[in-house]
Amino acid sequence: MSAFVDECRREWKRLGVPDLLAEEMATELEADLAEAEADGVSTVEMLGESDPRRFAAAWASERGLVSEPVQETKRRRVWPWVVVAFVLLCLFLISFAFIGVGSGQLGRGPQVQVTPLRRVSVPNVIGMKACKAVRIVAGTGVDDWRILGHEHGYDCDLIVVGQTPAPGNVIRRHVTVTLRLGRS
Amino acid sequence: MRRMAIESRRSQMLRGVLDLCLLAVVVDEPAYGYEMTRRLRERGLSTVGEGSIYPLLGRLEREGLVATHREASDGGPPRKYYSASPSGRRALHEGVRAWRDVRGEVDSVLATIEAEVAG
Repeated sequence: MSAFVDECRREWKRLGVPDLLAEEMATELEADLAEAEADGVSTVEMLGESDPRRFAAAWASERGLVSEPVQETKRRRVWPWVVVAFVLLCLFLISFAFIGVGSGQLGRGPQVQVTPLRRVSVPNVIGMKACKAVRIVAGTGVDDWRILGHEHGYDCDLIVVGQTPAPGNVIRRHVTVTLRLGRS
Repeated sequence: MRRMAIESRRSQMLRGVLDLCLLAVVVDEPAYGYEMTRRLRERGLSTVGEGSIYPLLGRLEREGLVATHREASDGGPPRKYYSASPSGRRALHEGVRAWRDVRGEVDSVLATIEAEVAG
C-alpha cells in the first residue's frame, strides 16, 4: 500500500506537481487505502487501477495540476526531431561565427547574453480560491511558498486575503511567497 | 474474453454518469474518498470500473462542483471531506434529468430487442 503511494509521490514529483498539493493527495490516498485495507479491500479493488504512475498522472491531470498527461510514446517520437533541431542549430551557429570572423564583424555587434530566469514577478492572487492561487504561484517558477497558519493542509474554498511580497514585485526565485487565507 | 467485453462496456457506460453518482452520495452529507466508495457500494454500485474515483473527484473539485474541507480523524491525519457545492447540486439535478431522459429513450429502443430475444 505505502509502496503504491510512494510511487505516486515520485510520479507527481516527476510531473512537477507542487509539493504541497502532492503531499495533500498522498495523505488523502494513504488514509483511504489504510481504511480500505482494514475492511479487507485491496488497493486494486479500491482504485480499479494497479499502475500507480498512471493513476497518479490521471489524478493530477484531472485536478489541473499538470497540463497534459505525458505519454511515453509521444515523448519517444519527439526525440529524433529534438536531435535534428539541435544539430541544425549548431550548424547555423558555426556558419554564423565563420561569417562574422570573415567579415571582421565578430564582437562589434550588440552582444546578446542569455541568462537563466532567476527572478520572477509575483502574481496577484488576492481574492482567488486557495487551490487556484497555489497553482498560479507555483506556475510562476518560485521555488517556495507557504500558507500562513495552514502548514498541514487548507481548505480549497478559502480565499486569499493577503500575500507577501505584494503583487507585481520582482523577487528572486528562492524567496518564499506567503499567502494568508480567510473566508470570503 | 466475453466477460472482459461486458466489463469494458459496463465501464464505458458508467463513465458518463459516475460524476452524478459521486455528487449523489455527498449531496446530503460530506464524505471522504473511501467513505464515498462505501456509500456507492451500499447503494448497489460495488465496482466503478476502470480507473478510480479520485481523478473524477479532482475534476469535480477543479470545476467547483464539490467543496472540500478537512476534519480531524481519530488518531490519523485530518481527512479531506467532499460535499456538493451549490453549482454541484444544480449539475446533479440537471444531470439526473438528462440521465432519465436518455435511459427512457434507450429503454424504448432496447425493449423490442429484449422481447425478440425473450421470444
